Amino acid sequence: MAESNNQDLVTLTVDGMTTSVPQGTLVIEAARQVGVMIPHFCYHPKLTPDANCRMCLVEIEKLPRLQTSCSTKVAEGMVVKSNVPHVDEARKSVLEFILANHPLDCPVCDQGGRCDLQDFSHQYTPTTSRFTELKRVFPKEYFSPLIETQMNRCVQCMRCVRYCDQVMDVKALAPSGRGTLTEIKHFSAHELDCEFCGGCVQICPVGAITSRLSMYDFRPWMLKRTDTICTYCGDGCHITIQKKQDELIEVNSTQGVGRNNGDLCARGFFGYHASVHPDRIMHPLIKQQDGRFAQATWEEALELVAEKFQGIKTAFGGNAFGGLVTSRCTNEELYLFQKFMRGVLGSNRVDSSARFGHVNGTLPLLSVQGTHRWTATFEDIVDADALLLIGTNITETNPITGLKVKQAVKQGHAILVTMESLLPARGTISNITLLATHHLPVRPDHYHIAIVGLIKSVLDNGLVDPGLETRAPEFFRAIKAAIDSTSWAHIEEVSGVSREVFSQSAHAFSSSTRGMIIVGQGVLRSPRGAEMVTNLLDFLILTGRHGQPGCGLCPLAEENNDQGAIEMGATAEFLPGPIAIGHHDTRQALSKLWEVDLPQEPASSLMEMFRDAQAGQVKAMYIVGENPVESLPQTGKIKEALESLEFLVCQELFLTETAQLADVVLPACSYVEKDGTFTNTEGMVQPVRQAIDPIGESRPDWEIFSALSVVMDQPMEYGEARDIFKEIRSVIPGYGLVGPVATRPTPKVDVVQQYLQEGFAHGLATRYVCTQDQPASDTPFLLASTQSLFHSGKFSTRSKGLLQIQSSGAIMLNPSDAKKLGIASGDSVCVSNAHGAVTTIARVLNRIPPDVACFPEHFDQDIRCLFELHIDKESHVPYSKLTWVRLERVEKGDV
Amino acid sequence: MPTHEKILLKNMDQPGYTGSLKDYEAVGGYQALRRVMKELAPADLIDIVKQSGLRGRGGAGFPTGVKWSFIPKDYTGPKYLCCNADESEPGTFKDRQLMERDPHQVLEGIAIACQAIGAETAYIYIRGEFRLGAKILEHAIDEARQARYLGENVLSSGVPIQVYVHAGAGAYICGEETALLESLEGKRGMPRVKPPFPATHGLYQKPTVVNNVETLANLPHIVTRGADWFASIGSPPKSTGTRIFCLSGHVKQPGNYEVPMGITFRELIYEHAGGMRGEKPLKAFIPGGASASFLTEAHLDVKLDFESVAQAGSMLGSGGVTVMEEGTSMVWAALRLMEFFYHESCGKCTPCREGSSWLVQVLQRIVDRRGRMEDLQVLADLCQNIVGRTVCAFGDAEIAPIVGTLQYWRNEYEDLIRESTAISTTSKELPVLALNS
Amino acid sequence: MKFGEWVKTLIFYEILMGMKATLTHLLHYKPITLQYPHEKKPLPPNYRGMLALLRYDDETEKCVGCDLCEAACPSRVIQVYSAEVPGEPTKRYAKEYYMDMTRCLFCGQCVDACPVDALGMTQEFEWAVYDKRNLQLNKQQLLAIGDRAFPVREKRIEFQHPNVAYFNVSFGDIPQKDA
Repeated sequence: MAESNNQDLVTLTVDGMTTSVPQGTLVIEAARQVGVMIPHFCYHPKLTPDANCRMCLVEIEKLPRLQTSCSTKVAEGMVVKSNVPHVDEARKSVLEFILANHPLDCPVCDQGGRCDLQDFSHQYTPTTSRFTELKRVFPKEYFSPLIETQMNRCVQCMRCVRYCDQVMDVKALAPSGRGTLTEIKHFSAHELDCEFCGGCVQICPVGAITSRLSMYDFRPWMLKRTDTICTYCGDGCHITIQKKQDELIEVNSTQGVGRNNGDLCARGFFGYHASVHPDRIMHPLIKQQDGRFAQATWEEALELVAEKFQGIKTAFGGNAFGGLVTSRCTNEELYLFQKFMRGVLGSNRVDSSARFGHVNGTLPLLSVQGTHRWTATFEDIVDADALLLIGTNITETNPITGLKVKQAVKQGHAILVTMESLLPARGTISNITLLATHHLPVRPDHYHIAIVGLIKSVLDNGLVDPGLETRAPEFFRAIKAAIDSTSWAHIEEVSGVSREVFSQSAHAFSSSTRGMIIVGQGVLRSPRGAEMVTNLLDFLILTGRHGQPGCGLCPLAEENNDQGAIEMGATAEFLPGPIAIGHHDTRQALSKLWEVDLPQEPASSLMEMFRDAQAGQVKAMYIVGENPVESLPQTGKIKEALESLEFLVCQELFLTETAQLADVVLPACSYVEKDGTFTNTEGMVQPVRQAIDPIGESRPDWEIFSALSVVMDQPMEYGEARDIFKEIRSVIPGYGLVGPVATRPTPKVDVVQQYLQEGFAHGLATRYVCTQDQPASDTPFLLASTQSLFHSGKFSTRSKGLLQIQSSGAIMLNPSDAKKLGIASGDSVCVSNAHGAVTTIARVLNRIPPDVACFPEHFDQDIRCLFELHIDKESHVPYSKLTWVRLERVEKGDV
Repeated sequence: MPTHEKILLKNMDQPGYTGSLKDYEAVGGYQALRRVMKELAPADLIDIVKQSGLRGRGGAGFPTGVKWSFIPKDYTGPKYLCCNADESEPGTFKDRQLMERDPHQVLEGIAIACQAIGAETAYIYIRGEFRLGAKILEHAIDEARQARYLGENVLSSGVPIQVYVHAGAGAYICGEETALLESLEGKRGMPRVKPPFPATHGLYQKPTVVNNVETLANLPHIVTRGADWFASIGSPPKSTGTRIFCLSGHVKQPGNYEVPMGITFRELIYEHAGGMRGEKPLKAFIPGGASASFLTEAHLDVKLDFESVAQAGSMLGSGGVTVMEEGTSMVWAALRLMEFFYHESCGKCTPCREGSSWLVQVLQRIVDRRGRMEDLQVLADLCQNIVGRTVCAFGDAEIAPIVGTLQYWRNEYEDLIRESTAISTTSKELPVLALNS
Repeated sequence: MKFGEWVKTLIFYEILMGMKATLTHLLHYKPITLQYPHEKKPLPPNYRGMLALLRYDDETEKCVGCDLCEAACPSRVIQVYSAEVPGEPTKRYAKEYYMDMTRCLFCGQCVDACPVDALGMTQEFEWAVYDKRNLQLNKQQLLAIGDRAFPVREKRIEFQHPNVAYFNVSFGDIPQKDA
């Protein structure tokens, strides 16, 4: 909302109370502000008023008939009356009409107890009805395994239809039929196939659309709510977990709350069962001589771990330990883990899953502008007038950030430039490229050259910030020289995008005043990720958008606490802050606080740890919630490295492939069973709260670290997660002290100045050099391991709700390629290259670009063997998302 | 029988008049458009129409010139004119004749209106069932385009006027102007919430004027013969000009009659339409399409102008006069009309959607002799609860037959109910609505 | 002292008068103590005795598992676990139904709350047990009580009024919830 000054205020009277509201406010909202609740069904603040339910009629003086308060805007001196008898009469009559055809099945309706119609009926109508005719009955329509519809209960308010169109941009629902026979239907005869955001379920004021996942499991008054944060991506959505006794019943979110403003995606809305999967590890496990796990008590397990750790520490020193932690942990746990590794075990070998990509976003931000967070917020996305999305189908990877982009484009008419491999084709789920004003179709391995093309257009078309050349002549000349070494012909040939399209996009972006760049996994998790992000920052500086309000470069976090992992120092190169590991003052301060000497050895990151493990330098590893054996390809020889360890401790929810190699497995809690904080992709620190008791004997990770330190005689004792947070605050002053909006750091002037003077030269020799990876003739397809909207990592594949939407992977192909290969959806396909061959199912999709095949990473257990591992020399990020393959159709009989 | 000069039906009454461009030009067609393009500024044109006192012929009777003047003057983007040819009101069939028999008269009117409001594009939203009308109009548009009366450069003035015919898909509600615009945009034909009005946020949210076919057909004559001439016809100052009344029902000669406003119903029914069929006494008549309330024999001397009919408790509406003779069951008549409204209720807003189905079921029960005395109160209450609480005027229209019949022929309802109580005292309803038929 | 008073004094008249009711009763002796358990008092028809779950005349359970009895119960006697009827998609019933009769006040609020009249109060009251656990009743036990206490059963609700014909019905052509 734009800030309003006094001139824009309108004074009106509602039921005798006078109030001033901004011009353009609806009467129903103005009434809400003075505490007058006007009953309504069809009105919703997120949607355009439709005024179809006629429930919100009020009397407005000087207007002839009763007016709908949801569609009438306030006017100066307006006198609104909502509590006069004839307004009451009108509401009663509307309710009588609605109840005429509404079935009286409240006892079996899941909405019963929190239903707007029920509440208003109690408030307004007598208990008898004058309707003695027959009620209208619709034939039962089966929607999907997740969404239950009962159209007899529908009040035709069209909220679901409008939500699906206006907010989600999916348009899966539509009214069909006329008059009383109007019912909400999805298109086509098969089951509902949409984004499954659950928005229709949440927004339905009655029980017409309910969740089938929790159908009949509960009554609303039994539910206890816990407000917490979702774990499925970096957006950090506020979710309300509803439980009955200790059973998870449903998840919803409240409008006006959290960064998501009540909107959720399929993962948030239907993915909550992953935490209570029956495969959860219930007890500590200790590996026996015969290689099998035996159930143990916490005392036995912790004492064994402590004893082994002590032994290795005495024999080989702290540097023999490696620690790896998942970014799904809370900030408190990440902080405590690195404190345990550095302080108790004395090792600088600490890393987290932020290494898989997010550091590629953070390191360039730190070196160019001195911030580790976005310099913009979700609100800035909504208010932006130009957005550049690179390497992300944002609606799938970060759906709620995607909603902000949709809002900016649909309501704010922002310019949207997308640099994406996906084609703008309509499908059952929304596709951000369809909303783009300028779309650059770039193959997943060509983002680098496309970014160079974009910068070249800026230079060639004279779109450079006029003051830059005098402010930073060396920078300008050096970049220009580096860019000029690549010719347009080469860029056009490799990227497949014409010079005109580049310059149109560059023009569109430079013409804006609030321009943002959003960078996704396509860039961050592919080779040269950090270089591309640095180049994009150069692009921002060249266009003069760098450091301007509402502008900035925003790397999207894939895991919910990637940002927190970096800020908590759970990565090799950082201490909490994040402060560079070698920073003397911080080391002093931490030593004093932790009462230990910090290890002096050079830090080593994820891949270095595995390398050193194989070389025998790392003797023991402590892996918390990560599964490198499964998430990295075989060529990385992770399994061999882990097998060569003397001692491996895994702290896990499930007995993963990595955990199976462990000597001791400690059962940890999932996000619904613990307290703490998550830091989302935009740097907002938000509280996570315990909803249910820990499953089995599992304990929150921080409790395990704490207990282990006590057994090892170097106690880090805390009563609750909040105590750890207090310690974090003493290390990082003001951490997490935020209001309703994330703090917005500004680029540090001295760092930017330093970068423009000389910092840019670092890596300049290579980062603009365009290399080209030519496909071999026998492996013509670029196979990309991509994220799906319906899953997040491997964790969500334990969720029964999400599995009902997507239960397996399929290789996704463009129709033209499929036609060439004679493949149709559902056919078996053999995917092969030098590393092996895998047979899987094909799915033909219009939005997949030609010569590219995509496979969801969540189901890549088998196909992972085809990928190779590359390690970034600069940021040490392991890349394994792209490979070259050939595809062949397999006859059913051959399988 | 007094004779009146016909204006709109004059051309087609000539023997051998085919409605082709040649015929129309022969009777002086498109001279008004020439004058408009050459001599008249849009503001003057609007003034002429304002002075003529022309009021909308579609139903509401809003002064046309005033409607045009609501279009924002300084708006530079596209503006649209929509010709409402979705003539679906039961008992109304005047536009159909105008379009099928003299299409160029309508097109000339459209071109003049476009020039007045500065629209470069006009859409004729024609009722889906009028296949012939649509074909004739399309042919006429081709003719006019070739003769440069329409198209890129109208009469070499540099002004483009493009006219397109868009056929509806069979919904009565699309005759409501905002529903028409929704349908034209390709959405579900459902009325919009007003304000904002189409004059500022119409088709594709651009300023738009929606005029009826008959209204537009009057324009060439007003331009040619002057506002004063038009204002002198009928019963000035409020209701000027002639109107085409569509007579149907129990009259000897049903059909379209163009008469000056201000004659009485008695003249219209007994002199123009030849009186009652079978010389039975008149029992009731609907003065202006199904949306207008019934009037009785006592109202035969009411003048046919907007104000007089409104004073009598009904409305002149679309000019469809349906006459019923003595012996007609008024409850049945109300049911028949109510069934139409039930079928055509778009379902957007609650009172109309649920009310129409409820009312039709109660009426059906009474007609089936399964009614109760309390039902009359229910009917009256429901009508009371629908009127004025709906999105569009459909809600006010759908209750007209029931309110009218309850007012004048309550005894007929009571008689039917008394018959039913004699048969059974308890109600064992059978399904009235076939489930999802 | 008059003679009459003297005689009265002599024959302990006042005492006799005082004993009159007692003595009369001695002559017309009729025991009013009920010889329970051999004899039983007739109970009023609205007697609030043991709770029971009822069935329709076609042996199907009335209970739809709406949990309203649980919500209405002031002493938390009732626990309902509702679910979809196996084999009858979208139809709701009480998969499990427990009553802890040790806590029941016999206030009858659950019976009032029941929207489908699935609960009834029988005339049974002889529920003294040696083991309190025997008062924890499950659905089968409660149905059995209903069966013996209410032999006359109602028609199914959909046959009672056409407007509830679509109340809690199953749709055979759609999949079960956890198929």
